[in-house]
Amino acid sequence: MQDKKRSAVITGMGIICATGNKVGEFLSSLKEGRRGIREITLFDCAGYPSNIAAQIKGYDPLDFFDKRELRRLSRVDQFVLIAAEEALADADLSRNGEHVGVCLGAGAGGMLSAEIYHRQLLDGKRPRPSLLLPFVPSYATDRLAERYNLEGPRTTITTACSSSASSIAYGAELIRWGEADVMVCGGGEALSELTFGGFCSLKIMDPFPCRPFDARRQGLSLGEGAAVLILEEKVRAQGRGARIYGELLGYSLGGEAFHITAPEETGREEARIMREAIQDAGIKPHEVAYINAHGTGTVLNDQVETLAIKEVWGADAYHLPVSSTKSMIGHCLGAAGGLEAAASLLAMRHHFIPPTAGFEQGDEVCDLDYCPQAREAEIEIALSNSFAFGGNCTALIFGKEGL
Amino acid sequence: MEAVAITGLGVVSPLGIGKEEFWQGLIEGRNGIEEITVFDTAPLRSKKGALAKGFNPKAFIPPLKIRRLDRASQFAIAASKMALEDAGLTINKDVPPERIGIILGSGFCGAVNAEAFHRGQIVKGPGDLNPMLFPNTVPNAAASNASIELGIKGPNSTVVQSFCTAEAAFLFACQQLIAHKADVIVTGGVDELSAILYRGWSELRLTAWDAGDGERSAPYDLKRNGFIPGEGAGIMILEREADALRRRARIYGQVLAFAFAGGAAHPGEKVARAIAGALKRGGMKTIDFIDGAGNSSPLLDAAESEGLRLALVDRYLDIPLSSFKSMLGEGIASGGMRIVADLLILEQGVIPQTINYAYPDPCCRLRVVKEVLKACVRTILHTGISLDGTYTAMLLGRANGVS
Repeated sequence: MQDKKRSAVITGMGIICATGNKVGEFLSSLKEGRRGIREITLFDCAGYPSNIAAQIKGYDPLDFFDKRELRRLSRVDQFVLIAAEEALADADLSRNGEHVGVCLGAGAGGMLSAEIYHRQLLDGKRPRPSLLLPFVPSYATDRLAERYNLEGPRTTITTACSSSASSIAYGAELIRWGEADVMVCGGGEALSELTFGGFCSLKIMDPFPCRPFDARRQGLSLGEGAAVLILEEKVRAQGRGARIYGELLGYSLGGEAFHITAPEETGREEARIMREAIQDAGIKPHEVAYINAHGTGTVLNDQVETLAIKEVWGADAYHLPVSSTKSMIGHCLGAAGGLEAAASLLAMRHHFIPPTAGFEQGDEVCDLDYCPQAREAEIEIALSNSFAFGGNCTALIFGKEGL
Repeated sequence: MEAVAITGLGVVSPLGIGKEEFWQGLIEGRNGIEEITVFDTAPLRSKKGALAKGFNPKAFIPPLKIRRLDRASQFAIAASKMALEDAGLTINKDVPPERIGIILGSGFCGAVNAEAFHRGQIVKGPGDLNPMLFPNTVPNAAASNASIELGIKGPNSTVVQSFCTAEAAFLFACQQLIAHKADVIVTGGVDELSAILYRGWSELRLTAWDAGDGERSAPYDLKRNGFIPGEGAGIMILEREADALRRRARIYGQVLAFAFAGGAAHPGEKVARAIAGALKRGGMKTIDFIDGAGNSSPLLDAAESEGLRLALVDRYLDIPLSSFKSMLGEGIASGGMRIVADLLILEQGVIPQTINYAYPDPCCRLRVVKEVLKACVRTILHTGISLDGTYTAMLLGRANGVS
């Protein structure tokens, strides 16, 4: 059933994040290196070592949904639907439900709603039980599919910070497999007190806006939002003259089998996973013109990721632009891989390298070209890394159409 | 489709530990459901659950590691070890770590640790957070902890798709094997009963309660009034059949065909579409047994019955059907234990009964197995149903060349 000729291209995109609630705004923020990390107003941060995140500001759900609809939608579900609306319109699909599936990645987005339930319960009140529904990560997937009557396969991937990157890989496989002609992929995240406190408890939250790869980095900044990408069978997309952002050339979804939170410190495992993706894409390492790094801003992640890149590219690593868009939009956990795939595709289409905003100076290990300012560049092939708790590593490789 | 074979089974269940105890419980019609004592159900209408019984983590995991692992991770490690042993596979010796993957469905998604961590945030405040709890709040904790403990470095993912969680993970695993992303994949479902989700379901009036006939999991019974939450792990080892035959492995069965359908409206029609899709792909004329998804919920069981009637037309009353959720409860990922049961049925030629089936429901006209039945079973139809809008149908059969 696996037809080698079938391939998945990206024909639509929708974005909401701290630096923009449309693809166009997101694109200009990437070009400008605009940072969305500011004081959190969503919950009280008193007592925590940090009070900042890439929260979406000035957001009024009533601009997008009516009150009746909102009763069933948590913050992350809203973000996913907003991005999906834009992506489906962008792809300009005639909605043929049966062959359109949904495969989203989810992080801890439903936690915010479950927290309200739990807090009220601990206060001795009787909370509304439907507050718990969004806690099940497939809830957003179902809301999206039901809103647009999409009747194809549904799957929700829950591997924390690599979830939505993996959703793109599996979505493409479902297309290759013939299970669907179109897959709606990506994912969402909403800030929550639990994840915020959780990263604080691990002492990897930077009190300042995160500075990936910089010598002064102290940890990550969390973020929220959603990225939805429309994956479509290539021949079908070309046949209907769709605009094609790029093609998923290859991927790898590996495990490090090392530690629940820490990466394997030599970078050997991350290097292996990038190599597997390169091999899957049928390309050579030197053909990769840009790496959208996982680049969280923690001391360990950035060091290990840099070592892994050096292991794969050797001396060429110094000529390879590497940047972390988390410097602008924070670490959006369940949405991170989707947002970073979108950033990579936009970089290819609009001929530029998105910056690692705020990067000033590297250190002994982190001495690659981290692109503190956006710059013009022709990118034929880009690689996007997503690494997660549990050692779940996903590398995606995108290429321009017609490669 | 390149054939996928199942060569190893591992179980942690409300009927006992390991495939022998599990099978013995099934054919004796033992009820795995009892009053919950591990948390307080006094304020709730529902009181019962299907908790894993006789589980001693020390039999599978070094003592120092046990306290760092949540219960779901312990289940996943134990069942994966049993399954690999059953398959006669040793990582490094028989398969390189990079060529074995793990893709699990995990329904309760770290909920137990999330609740404990968030309770600490509220009760003790931000100054005194337990960093041990946070990493295991991620839904991929079970699969990833198992990958770390067992040394699995290939494709690593976790899936949640409402009550089709284990089925969705199983299909993802099949896809990765057929795409040659790995040579062996550990797959299935794992759940740990969560007090807060139990509470939510009871308040949403989705779970069974004592309305005069006792609190029972009674699939297809006229007096059923909800499902009974359960936990456990049902894990399978998958290989491409050609590889399994080459190494002369015992093959429990093979995946003959599967299909997805989506959409919350008209669920009976969607169930039928999934079944018809699987039958068409499998080119099947005969089904010897139906492993029903019926979970004692009034709507789900009726939708399944309608779907079977629509898809199988004149045959649906001839084919014996049983729902093991009558003994195992509904654990979101309980599909994993059900698939293990299916493979044991193919091996043993015995069909376990549906317990608590006392008053046939005219809306569920089916040939429900009330007494354990000896039969030559070559092909099984396994349905997966979530009324949130995901439906799967899978045909499992005896391996090629195995009579």
